[in-house]
Amino acid sequence: MEGGASYARMPRVKIRELKDDYVKFELRDTDASIANSLRRVMIAEVPTVAIDLVEIEVNSSVLNDEFIAHRLGLIPLTSDRAMAMRFSRDCDACDGDGQCEFCSVEFHLRVKCMTDETLDVTSKDLYSSDHTVVPVDFPDPAGMEGSENRGIIIVKLRRGQELRLRAIARKGIGKDHAKWSPAATVTFMYEPEIHLNEDLMESLTLEEKKEWVESSPTRVFDIDSVTQQVVVVDREAYTYDDEVIKKAEAMGKPGLVEINAKQDSFIFTVESTGAIKASQLLLNAIDVLRQKLDAVRLSDDNVDTTEQFGELGSHLGGS
Amino acid sequence: MENQSVGIDKQFLAAPVKSAVDKFQLLPEFLKVRGLVKQHLDSFNYFVKTGIKKIVRANDRIVASKHPNIFLRFKDVRIGEPSIIIDGSPEKITPQTCRLSDQTYWAPILVNVEYSQGSPGQPNTVEKNDVIIGRMPIMLRSCCCVLYRKDEAELAKLGECPLDPGGYFVIKGTEKVILMQEQLSKNRIIIDTDKKGNIIASVTSSTEAVKSKTTVVMENEKIWLQLNQFPKKVPIMIVMKAMGMESDQEVVQMLGRDPRYSSLLLPSIEECAKNGIYTKEQALEYLESKVKKSMFASDSSERESRAYSVLRDVFLANVPVHQHNFRPKCIYVAVMIRRMMDAILNKDTMDDKDYVGNKRLELSGQLVSLLFEDLFKTMISEARMCVDKFLEKNNRTNRFDFSQYICRDSITTGLERTLSTGNFDIKRFKMHRKGMTQVLARLSFIGTMGHVTRISPQFEKSRKVSGPRALQPSQWGMLCPCDTPEGEACGLVKNLALMTHVTTDEEEGPLISLCYSLGVEDLELLSGEELHSPSSFLVIFNGLILGKHRRPQRFAMSMRKLRRAGKIGEFVSIFVNEKQRCVYLASDGGRVCRPLVIADKGISRVKEDHMKELMDGVRTFDDFLRDGLIEYLDVNEENNALIALYEGDATLETTHIEIEPFTILGVIAGLIPFPHHNQSPRNTYQCAMGKQAMGNIAYNQLCRMDTLLYLLVYPQRPLLTTRTIELVGYDKLGAGQNATVAVMSYSGYDIEDAIVMNKASLDRGFGRCIVMKKYTAIKQKYENNTEDRILRPDRTADNAGRMQILDDDGLAAPGEIIRPNDIYINKQSPIDTKTLKGASAANLPDSAYRPSIQTFKGPEGESCVVDRVVLCSDKNNNMCIKFLIRHTRRPELGDKFSSRHGQKGVCGTIVQQEDFPFSERGICPDLIMNPHGFPSRMTVGKMIELLGGKAGVSCGRFHYGSAFGERSGHADKVETISETLVKHGFNYSGKDFIYSGITGCPLQAYIFMGPIYYQKLKHMVLDKMHARGNGPRAMLTRQPTEGRARNGGLRVGEMERDCLIAYGASMLIYERLMLSSDPFEVQVCRKCGLLGYYHHKLKTGICSFCKNGDNISTMKLPYACKLLIQELQSMNIVPRLRLAEA
Repeated sequence: MEGGASYARMPRVKIRELKDDYVKFELRDTDASIANSLRRVMIAEVPTVAIDLVEIEVNSSVLNDEFIAHRLGLIPLTSDRAMAMRFSRDCDACDGDGQCEFCSVEFHLRVKCMTDETLDVTSKDLYSSDHTVVPVDFPDPAGMEGSENRGIIIVKLRRGQELRLRAIARKGIGKDHAKWSPAATVTFMYEPEIHLNEDLMESLTLEEKKEWVESSPTRVFDIDSVTQQVVVVDREAYTYDDEVIKKAEAMGKPGLVEINAKQDSFIFTVESTGAIKASQLLLNAIDVLRQKLDAVRLSDDNVDTTEQFGELGSHLGGS
Repeated sequence: MENQSVGIDKQFLAAPVKSAVDKFQLLPEFLKVRGLVKQHLDSFNYFVKTGIKKIVRANDRIVASKHPNIFLRFKDVRIGEPSIIIDGSPEKITPQTCRLSDQTYWAPILVNVEYSQGSPGQPNTVEKNDVIIGRMPIMLRSCCCVLYRKDEAELAKLGECPLDPGGYFVIKGTEKVILMQEQLSKNRIIIDTDKKGNIIASVTSSTEAVKSKTTVVMENEKIWLQLNQFPKKVPIMIVMKAMGMESDQEVVQMLGRDPRYSSLLLPSIEECAKNGIYTKEQALEYLESKVKKSMFASDSSERESRAYSVLRDVFLANVPVHQHNFRPKCIYVAVMIRRMMDAILNKDTMDDKDYVGNKRLELSGQLVSLLFEDLFKTMISEARMCVDKFLEKNNRTNRFDFSQYICRDSITTGLERTLSTGNFDIKRFKMHRKGMTQVLARLSFIGTMGHVTRISPQFEKSRKVSGPRALQPSQWGMLCPCDTPEGEACGLVKNLALMTHVTTDEEEGPLISLCYSLGVEDLELLSGEELHSPSSFLVIFNGLILGKHRRPQRFAMSMRKLRRAGKIGEFVSIFVNEKQRCVYLASDGGRVCRPLVIADKGISRVKEDHMKELMDGVRTFDDFLRDGLIEYLDVNEENNALIALYEGDATLETTHIEIEPFTILGVIAGLIPFPHHNQSPRNTYQCAMGKQAMGNIAYNQLCRMDTLLYLLVYPQRPLLTTRTIELVGYDKLGAGQNATVAVMSYSGYDIEDAIVMNKASLDRGFGRCIVMKKYTAIKQKYENNTEDRILRPDRTADNAGRMQILDDDGLAAPGEIIRPNDIYINKQSPIDTKTLKGASAANLPDSAYRPSIQTFKGPEGESCVVDRVVLCSDKNNNMCIKFLIRHTRRPELGDKFSSRHGQKGVCGTIVQQEDFPFSERGICPDLIMNPHGFPSRMTVGKMIELLGGKAGVSCGRFHYGSAFGERSGHADKVETISETLVKHGFNYSGKDFIYSGITGCPLQAYIFMGPIYYQKLKHMVLDKMHARGNGPRAMLTRQPTEGRARNGGLRVGEMERDCLIAYGASMLIYERLMLSSDPFEVQVCRKCGLLGYYHHKLKTGICSFCKNGDNISTMKLPYACKLLIQELQSMNIVPRLRLAEA
């Protein structure tokens, strides 16, 4: 990409798979910096809502107060509203104590075990003051199995034990605490380009071909049952482990296959905790990234020296 | 049974792998039957069931000295149920109640007595049953304990952890272990060299009555006897003559007629002749002149010479003398001399003091038994004295009850005091040992287990000898080769291996008569000549020469058959020593032994069907023992056995087969996965660190009130387990977490073994721990009937802010957040606690009290929580209030972590998750470890753990890494692990293709990444960090205080000072050593050079020597220097300061 002309490229996104909590897409015509900043923003800077303050009234369970508070914090809450909410630290409606409707959601939990059976206190026992912010409900993937879906377990109670508390959920970002991170998994890989040297390949016997195909820990190659030719089945299954290349060298056929990573296309896998839909997570991430870039652009106008600009970058991170 | 098949065929039939795997089931069965602390329990049980009865039987009569018809006789003794007396009635106690209320867990010692009663003139005999003569602390889980044979649910009801091993005592609320004491065998001949290099044969005799050490030494070619009763050594020939061996020929014959022996003996015989001693009388006379004169002339010397009694009672005390028959002693001496001469002729026959077969372990039962015997005898003599005094005073008229004199506190307090201090000071048995009991380590579950299997040495640790510290080959299978501390006690403190058992004493009488009936020729019937005849072996039973046997192997075989058939005790050892031409039988206590599978001609007796029966629960470990499939071998008998590791290795000569090779390791070393792939010191390091790891302590951990308790919030069981882990229950009470580790360099904050941690992992609870600390307050009662009082806090007072957490009862409320300087108990003490007050003590005016509040001093800026408040009464019946304060901590910079391979490291930096490297699967490590940790440490086991863990998480099966387990299937092989990895799409070598989280670019190298079990160690920065600007100063010297606890200063030490001097930074030295320390202004008289003082009215310095202020200079001096000058002056040394212009 030499030349003094415009660097601007128009990245393209192609969504391959889309579920509520899972998205797989291709990002093309851009480079690692953009891909990575997208990943980083998704992990650390897309806001969600999570329980941040717990006032315990009664706790006679086996787990201590901090323990329960920590567990509560890690329960993902549906946070579609999070982008519109305010951070409690810069909320004007409440003077910073973070207990108003613009920046917080109140939860209540009152459970007491009255039977001899162990009672599981789960995220379903949390009562929210706001119906848009509730503990994430996971539809059981097995469907038939586990007919009663009881949510995320908080603590187990025996007869006579009681747990009563009030919890405040606030908006936050994953950078401050992982409980605010909406992403369970965000990762990408470079798209591999695989060139098989057909001529060299033909010089292998079927046995050797099989052996070579087997040498890859993932199923990238296979042998066509009809033509008995080696074919690339799943390019993206390749994990850049170099096994096949090493194998080819060991077989005395260097250059049997040539694998390169395409520098400008990425395959993203995003799994969400359920706090926001995976697709929304991506959109929010782009929003946040854009805001950050805006902040950089704004400060660029103010301060010209590149020196200060470099330092500013790190200051901008928090906002 | 394949009886007639050919040898080669047999080896083929004994296919290695399958049968070996099956034999493993014996191990859990063994541990079920014996348990890990069985040695302690057995020993204590033996004492309670047999030992105490023997002691009482041996001293069962108390007779008034002047009135032989007034007596008390103990008919029976037993230990009752653990209980205490509350308000006159016995109340049952459990260990947990004792722990919580600072009581001793003990049971009454009940005796049945028969005694004289009534008027001393005509006493009539009365019987009384179940008289309590004292209280005996009870070992937990012993046969007297309430926990004995309780199942899990019952234990839970008693508040006890089912995984807790027991084997310790609860004394005044603290758990005390009596460590096993290692010592040299008693009553055995040991050939050794002394300091001068002379060859000696020594016997430490120990009988109920006497303890003595007899040494026969070869010096200047002559043989001498050393005995404490003889201040100088005496010629052995004279001793022999004194014992009735008047003829030199007989002595020579007893040694054997080999001319080499007689030539070695010749100088001694000549020496004897030179002294003109030929008869027994002459010899005794000679010895009489040599014997140490006792301080007080005893009346026994009238009847018999002192030398004679020394020879009879002290010299080789373990050999009994019946009816003045000294012949056994003579033969014993002859055998000693013969062994010595063997050693002179052939150095190989020297005994090794470090050989485990020459060692005995003294267990808690034996020690408590000694203690009890002493106290019991003391009680008897006290009772006799009291009775005598009573009878003397009262003219035989008053009523008299003997039984009143035996119920004293001396036994109770004696036992309690000794066990709680650990100082065994028993004059009667010449025992003065310190630190015998230790507070049970409750830092982690595994630390507890390690503590009860520990063996402490007898000799002092400071000696620089390497012999006793070295790993002895005879430790194989008995003592753990890995588990020993580093430093001072290295190699001296040992730990038992997994399957080791320590024997208890066994009845000797039946065994001796059995030996005679099996063809042992009695010593009495043998001439000296026959003693060492080449066709026969001496038979030595517990160090006592019984006689000789003409067919030793046959004798040994038949004894062993009897043992396997269960006719004699399973721990009797029969050992044929070909070199010494002796058969050694041992039934004494304290030998270490272990079970082995018996093999006939290399074929294991344990067959498939036996194992199947075991699995079905029809057969127990004891059945195996009874059926002669398995037997216990002690270290000596192991020398007669050829033990194959696996059945497949067995040859025709093989006599035994190991049950499982990994049992050579102990409990703690058993936690290490693949220890056989590690460099050996790494395993030793891990053994030391495993005890410091935080995790779970016990199931009842939250019901305990330990002074310090470290818990992990989310403990996990290791992904890569071992069989030992499952056997001891480490999988249920783990102490660590499975962290995904990437072995790579990152950020530079990972040098010197530091690790980089992922912030998100910490947020989610990795390494999060709970620290609980106990604070105690006592509501004291004073002798003048006053007592402390706890007040409802005054909410309007000045310090109300500090009392916020108090409830209305004046105690901190559980669940409240407590900050440094908060008051947790609003207590007041009476000012006057001395002068006696009447009933009005209860309502003193407020002015009679002064506040004695207790404030919390925790880490500044951290918020702790009051976890629990417990009220109980202590032993003085004061109310005792215990506060448990909890602090939850997340890992921070500088906290210490360690894997299970001796690889410790501190947290170097904490990094945001998005900056962490990630794989294309989305895996992001929890921590990053620097690869430089590997090359020099050579912990290959850690790498295999990583591989196995990775395979484990991908296939959903726990992988195993037991020591030496690859062959028997208790450890997964690297090849199979790699296959599993490949099957799940990973690289076979465990390396992953990783992207940098910072740039998004792939890393240049493949990264070795996978889960490793990491332990968080108790050393945390929060407890250690310390800095000070201004702060407190010591009163005397006005220098800053020392130590973190006192907010002390950071010392510029001698070496730092040297550096500064060398550098020439004089002003810095001045500033550090004086200005920042203890500057002081003094008035110095230029004339006399003495220190003066500053007169505040005259505003000048005055020299009190010159009586004027003319020549006063003001200067600065360290206060310590001024102090020194004054102290010197006070002892008439006058330091004078000569001042000059600077």
